[in-house]
Amino acid sequence: MLYPDLQEAFIPLVNQHRGILHKVCRLYCFTETDRQDLFQEIIVQLWRSYPSFRGDAKFSTWLYRIALNTAISDLRKQRRRITLTDPELLPAELQDIQYSGEKEEQLQLLYKAINKLTEVEKALTMLYLEDKSYQEMEDILGISQNNLRVKMNRIKDKLRKMTKEATYGIGKP
Amino acid sequence: MELESLKSIWNELEPLPTPEKDGELILALLQKKSRGPVARMRRNLIRELLLIIVTYIPLILFYLVEFEGRLSAISGLVFLLGLFFCGYYYRKMMLLKEMQCVSCMVRSNLARHVETLKKYTRFYLLAGTLVIPFTAIYCYAILRWKLPQASGIQLYHRLSPAPWWANSIYWLLLLAPLTIAIYYLNAWYINKLYGRHIKKLQELLREMDEE
Repeated sequence: MLYPDLQEAFIPLVNQHRGILHKVCRLYCFTETDRQDLFQEIIVQLWRSYPSFRGDAKFSTWLYRIALNTAISDLRKQRRRITLTDPELLPAELQDIQYSGEKEEQLQLLYKAINKLTEVEKALTMLYLEDKSYQEMEDILGISQNNLRVKMNRIKDKLRKMTKEATYGIGKP
Repeated sequence: MELESLKSIWNELEPLPTPEKDGELILALLQKKSRGPVARMRRNLIRELLLIIVTYIPLILFYLVEFEGRLSAISGLVFLLGLFFCGYYYRKMMLLKEMQCVSCMVRSNLARHVETLKKYTRFYLLAGTLVIPFTAIYCYAILRWKLPQASGIQLYHRLSPAPWWANSIYWLLLLAPLTIAIYYLNAWYINKLYGRHIKKLQELLREMDEE
């Protein structure tokens, strides 16, 4: 059963934040089909939880929680693991964005590096890239700020190393 | 490449605004069913329960009405099994209901998921194992006390001339290894179904907690 009043409020809110949802799907899925499945699942979960959203937390915090909870705990079998990021495999809506050759290369490097991280590290990296404060990260993930700082430093080192290796070929035979 | 430049690339990754199209897409998605693991488990439970109801009710009625009601004890057995399964599905459904809190913090949701899934599998194992000795004991009771009445002769005693206490011991001796075998078979099957999932969730939780 659908509730027209709730829908009216819900759809624009989700639409406004859909970039976040696409990024979560891009981080946790390797194929377009998996991404579409996850996107659908997140929307369904958001809609189911929406009536209990009381505005105690920011809408984006609530949305991050649901998107990450769905992506992390939904351990469906990935159809095909693709480790290299082909621009054509980006979410359909993101494909329209035109990048210069250099940016395109950097984007590929970024995704290639992130794909090597664990599910928890991916969540942290996403929140870091989204410029979230440690307080917000704690509100979303439920990890203490001290622990977050330790983890974040480790991830930053990992990312630096991985992007450096990919850029300059360090560590490659 | 510096991390700050990664941030700027990341933040440029915003989809182009096409509100009407996206509104329609989201509206269409709202009408779809969840395909998450918990929702699928819930749907499977409902299907199993319906199957039990559809097959057990005719069986109960058949043994109640046919054979001039002399085999109504079998109806009783099927009825009790049906009740057992209703309780079993109810408990499982309740556990599935409390398994996820998607709007909670990621760590607490994971902890809740692991804890409830463990309870779920323990209950699955216990119920799946106990139903076998329960059914066997009830069948023994039917054979022991109801079969002679049904056949009109002392068929039970013709089938088994040994005294009742000896027969009970034979049944128990047969039942004990069978129950143990069923226990391990169930444990293997449940581990095959949920073991990898639980392990993966526990690993995630451990990773979140370690410093």
